[in-house]
Amino acid sequence: MNRRASGIQPKRRGDRSAFWLVAPYVLFFCTFVAYPLAFSLLLVFHRWNIVTPMEWIGLKNFTRLIGDPLFFTSLFNTLVFLGIHIPLQIVVALGFSLLLNSRIRGRGFFRALYFLPVVVSGVAVTILWQQLYSYDYGVLNSLLRLVGLPPVPWLIDSGVAMPSIAIMATWKNVGIYIVLFLVGLQNIPHELYEAASIDGAKPYRQFLHITFPMLNPTIIVIVVLSTIGGFSLFIEPYVLTGGGPMQSTLSGMLYIYNQAFYFGHMGYAATLGFVYALVILTIVLVQRKVIEREPVT
Amino acid sequence: MVLSFCGCAEHRGPAPGGDGRVELIYWPAPNPQEIQLADSVVQEWNRLHPQIHVTMQPIPVSQSTEEVLQAAIAGNTTPDICSNIWPGALREYTRAGGLVALDRFPDFDSVVAARTPADLMAGFRSDDGHYYQVPWKTNPVMMFYNIRMLREAGISAVPRTYAAYLAAGRKVSRDTNGDGQIDVWMGERDIRPLWWQRLFDFYAFYIAASGGKTLFRNGAVAFDNGTAEEVFAFFRECYQEKLFPRTFFQGGDPFTLEMKATHFSGPWEVAQIRKFAPQMSYGVAPLPVPDSAMNPVYTYGDYKNISIFSNTAHPREAWEFVKFLVTAEHDLLLLEITDQIPVRGDLLTNPLFAGYFRRNPTMVEFARQAPFTRNIDAVPDLKEIFDAISQSYEASAVYGKLSPVEAVHDAASRTRAILEWNQ
Repeated sequence: MNRRASGIQPKRRGDRSAFWLVAPYVLFFCTFVAYPLAFSLLLVFHRWNIVTPMEWIGLKNFTRLIGDPLFFTSLFNTLVFLGIHIPLQIVVALGFSLLLNSRIRGRGFFRALYFLPVVVSGVAVTILWQQLYSYDYGVLNSLLRLVGLPPVPWLIDSGVAMPSIAIMATWKNVGIYIVLFLVGLQNIPHELYEAASIDGAKPYRQFLHITFPMLNPTIIVIVVLSTIGGFSLFIEPYVLTGGGPMQSTLSGMLYIYNQAFYFGHMGYAATLGFVYALVILTIVLVQRKVIEREPVT
Repeated sequence: MVLSFCGCAEHRGPAPGGDGRVELIYWPAPNPQEIQLADSVVQEWNRLHPQIHVTMQPIPVSQSTEEVLQAAIAGNTTPDICSNIWPGALREYTRAGGLVALDRFPDFDSVVAARTPADLMAGFRSDDGHYYQVPWKTNPVMMFYNIRMLREAGISAVPRTYAAYLAAGRKVSRDTNGDGQIDVWMGERDIRPLWWQRLFDFYAFYIAASGGKTLFRNGAVAFDNGTAEEVFAFFRECYQEKLFPRTFFQGGDPFTLEMKATHFSGPWEVAQIRKFAPQMSYGVAPLPVPDSAMNPVYTYGDYKNISIFSNTAHPREAWEFVKFLVTAEHDLLLLEITDQIPVRGDLLTNPLFAGYFRRNPTMVEFARQAPFTRNIDAVPDLKEIFDAISQSYEASAVYGKLSPVEAVHDAASRTRAILEWNQ
């Protein structure tokens, strides 16, 4: 049907203003998301060290990845980190948020205090923890010695280094998850607790059957954010251990960084990046499937 | 100044500005001493050459000069001249066409022959037969030792062999305040698996133990041998016997803090000691070697050289500036300001330098060591190769998880795989 005949007039001026409104984002998206993504995809099939011209090598980067023990080491290390970091993060954040949600004196002060590490530079925090973790001269081991306990090889034992980093990362990030849990807690209708109290439910039963199920959406968000954040683990091992001891803290991101910027293997680093993105996607989908339940209504 | 040796090369790029003045950019290393040196030389040059103006800009601070130069070549933002070129990275720059072949200048041979011995110079020739670098300075890796700490442990002779070093270490490393914790060490190395750290322990010690051999022969792995195993075994012993701490220090150099008795380093350490521990009595000696090793003791030279980048619009003028940088007078300035050794054959015979060495007797040791230094091998992907070596070193020497034989074999296998992959 003819538009003119139908009486529908295109809002030309409105259309143009909409275009200008979205243009900054489109420009940003094209420059910082679409173009780098497309270029990375191109790199996957090339050997390139920034300086010399690109060389087409087909699927060789993938065949290298399959036979690369360090890729599997870095993947394993990252999963170990997630295995420690996520439960620890949830337990600590939930514990503190329950405390901060109750009526205690100085609640506002403590909320700000726990959030403080989130806004401090990651490198500064890492250097601070380096001083705490030092085997011979660290504060933690000095305290252990004071009470007659043997020192812990926080960063120099391949079995202890990654848990040490996970503890540090939890300390650094827990503030943001406390805030998320607090929001979740404050959204739980108070009537549910009142009804449960009338029915004689004890506090731990209220927590188990009201608080925890009602926090399920928050837990999903936290698990997904922690997983993605965990796969981005870089500053901590880069500054603290350089990936050692014995590659036990070589995270995926650190390995990609080394391949790209130390060794100049941009194509291989891009391949690692894509494979890691697929791994993250798979893990997040599985997590959602396992954790997601209908919230109590 | 009119440059009279025309005909050596075409003058590429734009002509000098309207006033006929040529502008050059020079990047020195970003440490305070070299900035001071560069500043002095550039000021003098600009005074003497009003038509060729040089601007000094320290290399932008980054993890390494190599990263910055790679990015600069890729982005076409290189300077005209840089004096912090690590020979190990030169191959990448030349493959990218980033450097000017300096032997195109007719007086190149005479300039370098007057300064650097021919056999040493030959080690800086690239695969294609050209020279892209003027060897500028060397920092022979040697053993600094704290005289007081050795004396207090009852050691009168400086350890020259592995056996002597380990024996001395057993006396030096101890708990001095009775808190059950060793607080004085024989030595210390950064235990993090950082590739470049191996240049100053494994590689320098391999050169010393092998009588001056490097890791590759005709581009193939040549370190899968007993010498490398001996070096790994030596460091393994140092860690197992707690002569070295399994930690890394932040907030101070443990040698200048007098927490360790020996330190493997280049002459730049002299300036550190002068600044942070001027009262400390110390000496410098060649690196310890296996008991069976022969004299003289070689070491890693840690050369840093001068190159001209191919995007310069004024290669001839840049070459004039390079020649100015490497005159005997400026080599003396290099010594005086930075305590680093110019790559020249007459250091101990030229009267120009005599006063400096009289005032700085420690530096005589480095000058004596300089002819017995080795460069880095001209093979591709050195950083990745040293990373592989670093991981084997860590597994064997630091943590004792692999035997030296296994670790050397592992490093050699991985190095072969890296060379094969990157061919």
